[in-house]
Amino acid sequence: MVLENQDNRNLWEKIGDYFSANSIWMKWYCTGCGAIELPPTMTSRFDMERLGMGPMATPRQADVMLITGYLSTKTLRRVIYSYEQMQDPKYIVAFGSCTINGGVYYDSYATINQLDKYIPVDLYIAGCMPRPEAVMNAFADLISMIKKGQANGWRHYQENYEWYKKNQLDSLEEVIIHDEFHE
Amino acid sequence: MMNSMNNIMKQVDDVLNVLNKEVISNRQFAIDINKGDVHQALTYLKSIGFTQLSIITCVDLIADNKFQLIYILNNWELGLFVIVRTDIDRDNPSYVTVVNIFPGAKYYEREVHEFFGVTFEGNDSSFKPLLLEIWDDIPPLRKDFDPQVYSDRKFEKRDSDKIYRSKIGGVKL
Repeated sequence: MVLENQDNRNLWEKIGDYFSANSIWMKWYCTGCGAIELPPTMTSRFDMERLGMGPMATPRQADVMLITGYLSTKTLRRVIYSYEQMQDPKYIVAFGSCTINGGVYYDSYATINQLDKYIPVDLYIAGCMPRPEAVMNAFADLISMIKKGQANGWRHYQENYEWYKKNQLDSLEEVIIHDEFHE
Repeated sequence: MMNSMNNIMKQVDDVLNVLNKEVISNRQFAIDINKGDVHQALTYLKSIGFTQLSIITCVDLIADNKFQLIYILNNWELGLFVIVRTDIDRDNPSYVTVVNIFPGAKYYEREVHEFFGVTFEGNDSSFKPLLLEIWDDIPPLRKDFDPQVYSDRKFEKRDSDKIYRSKIGGVKL
């Protein structure tokens, strides 16, 4: 997937992107083992608040979603639910080799192999797992991408919704979540 | 500690029809029993202090065409574990539930049913899915299930002509 890079934003969109790049709210939902890299990233050692980023409890108020590691089919259903609840513009940062090609779970019956078939990924961080330095570097990259108007994953998802939906249904059969304790 | 375990092993040997017993460590021993004696064994072990059912699990002995059911019980006062093992048939695997002895077995039996396909008579909830949401193949922890084939069928792989491998034997600097 190659996201379009030409800049055809109008002035107000440029201004909006400039300001939203400097106050990014991160959705507080972690999958897989990379969640443990976030406490040092958030707290005093690396302190992502220096970049104007902070955690947010609900998807409707968040701007960026971090996919921190492998995704089982069960988790992917919840991730798609949360992603579709987020308001535009919204960004996805994927951590580690598991989201790129399955990583060590390449032959697992329960984990997906390639995340960008299901939801649009703006930025991948390589590593297993990436250290907080790499995560901070990626956040700085994300901010500059938003300022330049290159983080267009959410627009790509709107324009190619049928393609994403087909891939999701091929692997998951249905995205709707059944829960025996609430039905 | 070894002493109290030897006492318990002797008691168990006197009361139950033990096919084979094995000392695993100085706090842990295993007994193999017939599948008809499991409920008697669990009831007896519970009465002498093995009050916690730590887990029920299963091993697929595909060469012998058997499933081995494993019940691990814990005695909190002596710090001892006993592993009760029994073999059941692999074709149409079915066994009788132990929820009337250990109510917590409900979820362990559900898990064994989901991952090995063993049905437990008397535990209706064991037929419900526990961890897998929509499953469309044979139970995934059986030895004749190939996860690579399933993964290739369900999850698309990244097509790349570049394969990066680390060098075996280290990199010359």
